[in-house]
Amino acid sequence: MKELSGYLLRRFGWMLFTVWAVYTVSFVLMRLVPGNPFSSERTVPPAIERQLRARYNLDAPPIEQYTDYLVGILTRFDLGVSIRLEDYTVNEVLAEGFPVSASLAILALVFAITLGVTAGVISAVYRGTFADLSMMATAVLGIAIPNFVLASLAILLFVFMVPIFPAAGWGTLKQVMLPALCLGSPVAAYIARLTRAGMLEVLSKEHVRTAFAKGLPKRSVILRHVLPGALLPVVSYLGPATASVLTGSLVLEKIFALPGIGSHFIYAATQRDYTLAMGMVLTYTVLLFVMNTLVDVSYAIIDPRVKLE
Amino acid sequence: MPLELRRAFVILTLVMIAVAVVWATRFDAMPPAEFSLQNGTDPKTLDPHRATGSPESRILFNAFSGLLQMLPDGEPDPETGLQPMSAQPAVAKSYEVADDKLTYTFHLRDDAMWSDGTPITSRDFVWSWTRMLHPGTACEYNFQLFSLPNAQAFSTGVVEVGDRVEVELWDRPFPDGRREDEVGEANIQNFPRGTMLYGTLKEIRKPPEPDIDPEIDDNANADLMGQWQESWVYVVDIAEVEEDGPDTSVLWEEVVSTQTFCANPSSPIADEKTARIHNVLVAFDQLGALETPDDQTLIVHLKDPLPYFPSLTAYYPLFPVPKHCIEEYGMPMWTKPENIVSNGPYVVGLRRLRDRVRLVKNPRWFDADSVAIETIDALSTEGQNTALNMYETGQLDWVTDPPGALMETLRERDDFYAAPMLSLYFYRINTTRKPLDDPRIRRAIAMAINRTQIVEQVTKAGQVPAYSLVPPGIAGYQSPPGLEPDLDRAKALLAEAGYPGGRGIPKITILYNTSEGHRAIAEVIQQQLQNTLNIKLELQNMEWGSFLDKTNQIDYDIARAGWIADYADPNTFLDLWVTGGPQNSTGWSNPVFDGLIQQAAAETDARTRMELLAKAESIWIEEMPVIPVYFYVGINMVKPRVEGFFPSPQDIHPFQLLKTRDPESVR
Repeated sequence: MKELSGYLLRRFGWMLFTVWAVYTVSFVLMRLVPGNPFSSERTVPPAIERQLRARYNLDAPPIEQYTDYLVGILTRFDLGVSIRLEDYTVNEVLAEGFPVSASLAILALVFAITLGVTAGVISAVYRGTFADLSMMATAVLGIAIPNFVLASLAILLFVFMVPIFPAAGWGTLKQVMLPALCLGSPVAAYIARLTRAGMLEVLSKEHVRTAFAKGLPKRSVILRHVLPGALLPVVSYLGPATASVLTGSLVLEKIFALPGIGSHFIYAATQRDYTLAMGMVLTYTVLLFVMNTLVDVSYAIIDPRVKLE
Repeated sequence: MPLELRRAFVILTLVMIAVAVVWATRFDAMPPAEFSLQNGTDPKTLDPHRATGSPESRILFNAFSGLLQMLPDGEPDPETGLQPMSAQPAVAKSYEVADDKLTYTFHLRDDAMWSDGTPITSRDFVWSWTRMLHPGTACEYNFQLFSLPNAQAFSTGVVEVGDRVEVELWDRPFPDGRREDEVGEANIQNFPRGTMLYGTLKEIRKPPEPDIDPEIDDNANADLMGQWQESWVYVVDIAEVEEDGPDTSVLWEEVVSTQTFCANPSSPIADEKTARIHNVLVAFDQLGALETPDDQTLIVHLKDPLPYFPSLTAYYPLFPVPKHCIEEYGMPMWTKPENIVSNGPYVVGLRRLRDRVRLVKNPRWFDADSVAIETIDALSTEGQNTALNMYETGQLDWVTDPPGALMETLRERDDFYAAPMLSLYFYRINTTRKPLDDPRIRRAIAMAINRTQIVEQVTKAGQVPAYSLVPPGIAGYQSPPGLEPDLDRAKALLAEAGYPGGRGIPKITILYNTSEGHRAIAEVIQQQLQNTLNIKLELQNMEWGSFLDKTNQIDYDIARAGWIADYADPNTFLDLWVTGGPQNSTGWSNPVFDGLIQQAAAETDARTRMELLAKAESIWIEEMPVIPVYFYVGINMVKPRVEGFFPSPQDIHPFQLLKTRDPESVR
């Protein structure tokens, strides 16, 4: 336990450092890019632009902007007012969009794990059969096809040809199913391949052979002795999987018109909404860091050979 | 780690996953609205003085009402189906124009009220228009009121010695009741009011001007100048103010005292008696531009006889905003659905980012009985294909941006409306760079571009080839003949300019913001000019922000652009190109053109005015600082079950005129 809390504390320290580094790099990059939040096709008169810059503290010396904003984030978790969506603070934008993105990611991941592990186990147990081959071929396709292509196909199939799902939008369970499937499929495909490889490796281990030799039923050997070991690579893949689900949702949110935070990410960057872009970058940083830490911790708990360092 | 703990961990993880799934699949069911439309994207703001784009305007035109409103007038054009619109009574039940065309008297309805029941008075308009013009509001459409005396000086913050000015002390109240001078922090708001003093500006004391270093960038220099201006000390003879109920009148001749003011308390030339202020501005609202003899009468004095002034009052920047609501909640809280008070046929019921704005019928609107649809959802759907999918499956009733790739198929359908719009797609030319500084080359290029090919093979939605600047369809205006394509003439001009057969012309670059549509058009033009005039063009695309930067700094050869009419008058297209105009960005300047535009602004006779503008346009065509490509069409797809939808010249579609054929059927 002491080991664990020490580890978490160290990781927390690293996270603060990472956040600071990401903040600094983003801050500098954003101000180096040509254009500014107030540029539009209709040129803003200089007097008005000065007023706007003052409103968002952009007229202060850069170093002052840098520290003021950082202090606000650290002491009050205040990410400021969105420059482009001016009726909203960045915190409000996150509060509205994050639950949507989170629901989508959770459903996609749960779907991916369930489908991926099942398919992996079946194809490893029935190695070399038609079922194995077809499932692994599907998995390769699943990894190769980008999710927006999959989304278009899925819409064609399940919205127009067999109308069971609505075309887009947010608010009912039916509306979230299709995007979650499209988002989870590539991850499921990858997990299936990882599970199959892990299963095959463990199946050839001596303790498994012993278990079979003792006459244990196949089912309990697979579930109790093979699967736990085979799932280790899957667990370690969950960190990157979360990342891919979160970033993959940027495209799907547009295709399915979902009110998540992904689309804000793109808009904040292209419209030079400094505060919103910063809020997005930092949120994703923290999120990915936390997810990776959780994965590492659970990895150590599942596999006694792994030490937290 | 002990085995029990590992087991416990596995169970805990499973429980957590179960909880997460349950949480993720719970939704607040919301009944669909009676009518929903694709609004393109989220409105950036619901503050009429801060909004600019069309997603905002669709909401604001229906959540607020101005003095007048744009409504159908006359029969639709038999050829295009375009329904002419004109400014008709809204909050004002009638108005009169004086003979000199400089004084408008608006008579407000007795029953006009805000959605919370507060009556709307003429003072609301004075306050709203002053707020719209105030530099702190930074309204991009402030120029729409620049025909009022002192409005431009007030809005741009220019003061001169001898001006009658207002001084806003640095004591703006915060929503919690404390004041700036107590908190020590500035309250940056759209038009807040601290203590106001009025008087005559006697002197401006300035510290030495900072050196402008041309090596460093413009922004840094602008900051430097801004800081310098903040350290000016203003000496003002403060006048006596007489309070008379809600009105204040300033007795300019009665000087009470002489005080000094400065925006920067640590200015080197300020002394301890210098009071800290926000601004010293020309006292716009005290100098008689607007008069309110009673609650129902608003008198507007103009300095130029603008024939289109009534239609400006039907445009959302001039709509009234609720003073009581803004003062109570401030920015950005007053535009939240739970706080916002408006005065249109609809009120904002719900707003979810990236999802929708729900409009609910406003029972307190003066003509609420005629509003048929109770709830309207403006969905922030951006994807063109997504919107079409939703339309086809019944989730949307009105698509405002159908996919370009399907235009040919969609055009054939009965629910497809395309009609000319007052807007132009064009290419700016950098007239300061060789060889494009020669009008002959610009004319040659313009004459060699085959616009028919572009509208028929690229844009495909029925756009109209453009050879002149002002789109057809403005009553009383006839554009002079444009530069029709003429290859022989173009070749001759090129030879005359010293490049026979296109030999010797350096490579010219077309700059456009990254988009499939813009690229396709640029490619066609590239090919046409290569084949006909032997002019080699290079294409360069840039992401929006960088593209705007390049254009504004006139750092390009040819750059694409578009312009949508701000009001139905040729002036909105012509005054873009006056010398040094903020949208000019071509470096083009022609004193005769500038003179004609000025003359037209002061002309009281409508016909002579239009003739002057046409003369200016013919100079523009002769010089071709910009190549017109095509006039846009407004494209909409609306379900047959909807009545009351018609194409209009500015693509304005009042929601209160819409009806669903079967009001019982929700969908």
